[in-house]
Amino acid sequence: MAARRFTLVQALHVVLAIGWADFVLKYRGSVLGYCWSLIGPLVKFLVILYVFGPYVQPSIPLYPLYLFLGIIVWEHFTVTTTGCMTMLFEKAGIVQRHPFPNFLLILAVGWTNIIIFSTHLAVFAVFGWFFGAPLVWSVLYLPFIMLQMTLAALGVGMLLASYCLKYRDIGHLWGIAVQILFWLTPIMYPYRAQSAVTASLIAFFHQPGIHSRNLLNLFIHFQPIAIIINDVRRVTLYPATAGTPTSLHVVGLTLVCAGMFLAGKWIFDRRCPYFTQEY
Amino acid sequence: MGPPTVDCRNIVKTFLQRKVPMRLLQDRILRWRILSDRIRIEALRGVSLAARKGEWVGLFGANGSGKTTLMKIIAGIMRQDAGEVSTDGRLSCFFELGVGFHLERCADENIRLHGLLQGMHRTDIRRVTDIIIDVAGVRSHANLPLKCYSTGMRLRLAFAAASQVDADIFLFDEILAVGDTDFQKKCWWYLHALKRAGKTGVIVSHNMDNLERICDRIEIMDRGILTGSHPIRQQRNTGGTPSALP
Repeated sequence: MAARRFTLVQALHVVLAIGWADFVLKYRGSVLGYCWSLIGPLVKFLVILYVFGPYVQPSIPLYPLYLFLGIIVWEHFTVTTTGCMTMLFEKAGIVQRHPFPNFLLILAVGWTNIIIFSTHLAVFAVFGWFFGAPLVWSVLYLPFIMLQMTLAALGVGMLLASYCLKYRDIGHLWGIAVQILFWLTPIMYPYRAQSAVTASLIAFFHQPGIHSRNLLNLFIHFQPIAIIINDVRRVTLYPATAGTPTSLHVVGLTLVCAGMFLAGKWIFDRRCPYFTQEY
Repeated sequence: MGPPTVDCRNIVKTFLQRKVPMRLLQDRILRWRILSDRIRIEALRGVSLAARKGEWVGLFGANGSGKTTLMKIIAGIMRQDAGEVSTDGRLSCFFELGVGFHLERCADENIRLHGLLQGMHRTDIRRVTDIIIDVAGVRSHANLPLKCYSTGMRLRLAFAAASQVDADIFLFDEILAVGDTDFQKKCWWYLHALKRAGKTGVIVSHNMDNLERICDRIEIMDRGILTGSHPIRQQRNTGGTPSALP
């Protein structure tokens, strides 16, 4: 039904061009420019480090880096999911009046935020050098993890975007959910993984009783963003002590993230034809 | 006569809307009883429309008669409840000029994104960028963001960008000639050039004079149905040959 079909190469050009243009446009005309994207996570980092650092720092080596890494991955997740929703409003002219695969706009949001995250990683590298963190070969895992986190974030983002025009308070509700999820993700406190994810999961269900607190722990332990944050830390900060993710772990988590992405896309594609009448 | 390039058969589109719009999830949960009354709007009631290759069809009708809904269904932006739509060839539609334009971007950046959204290749976009800027007459502002342009300049740039999109079928919704008299002449020249090139067009307008100027056939729409054809008087001049043309 779509009026003009895009080839894969054309679609890629469109995604890269829109994503890059949005990244450039975000800071154009602003005195502080790109710094705005860094100020948010940096302020959060400094406040948490100052308030909670003294309590947690002794149990976590390289805690400032541990915290900063957790915050920038979390920021990538929240900004991407929120960006998928705001995209429908910012690009209303395209969605409403142009026969264009809206899915490409979602991918452009992902691309913009990968660029921003990459710049945050560069800042992290400077911090790492400053705090004396060793440069390890396992950082080569990072592109896989970035792919996983982008797939997961876009999956959730597409689910939210599918309904944010129909129900305008989805954005507010997601804002509250993000606040709750922030505390239910091991960003400032340690991720207590005693064994491999699958072994821990099996052990959990063999416990004598399952209480609400255990369920909460299970969620903190196994929600994809927590595992992704933990993986990023393992490959950049603690490859010697925590070990690098196994192939099974990488493949398994990629499948979970791809599943989230495909589920989000399936719902988004079903809802797309109704967008134009929901403005 | 060949097969239709644009063919709509018995298109039905109904909107089921709440009397009081329910835009919040909390309303859905907390006030669904109060806000459950719905109204049924039959936007299109079995509309059939065909345009053959090289034919330009005008749609004329009052507000709310279903013209834009039909165009959006042809374009694939909206899905019909029943009926079939088929198009044979690449389609470009203009429900507004300057899709993808942003006030903070310069002319060439806007032209590039506009072209990409219209499915143009990057090499083609690069080739036509200067032409678009010259036809729009905005060379003096080419390096400034769009917010520095007058409204007329923006419209001219947008129309000039639209004029370079290559397609077989064109849909225009209330977008025919824009800008001052000189530029309107260019617009008409461009539209007639498309027609001479054998492109197919479907045009919506409230201005019968404009439709008569370009269309081979004008269909009248009223409350979701096509009520008949408007007789075309002798087709008027194409607007001459303006000095700077693509």
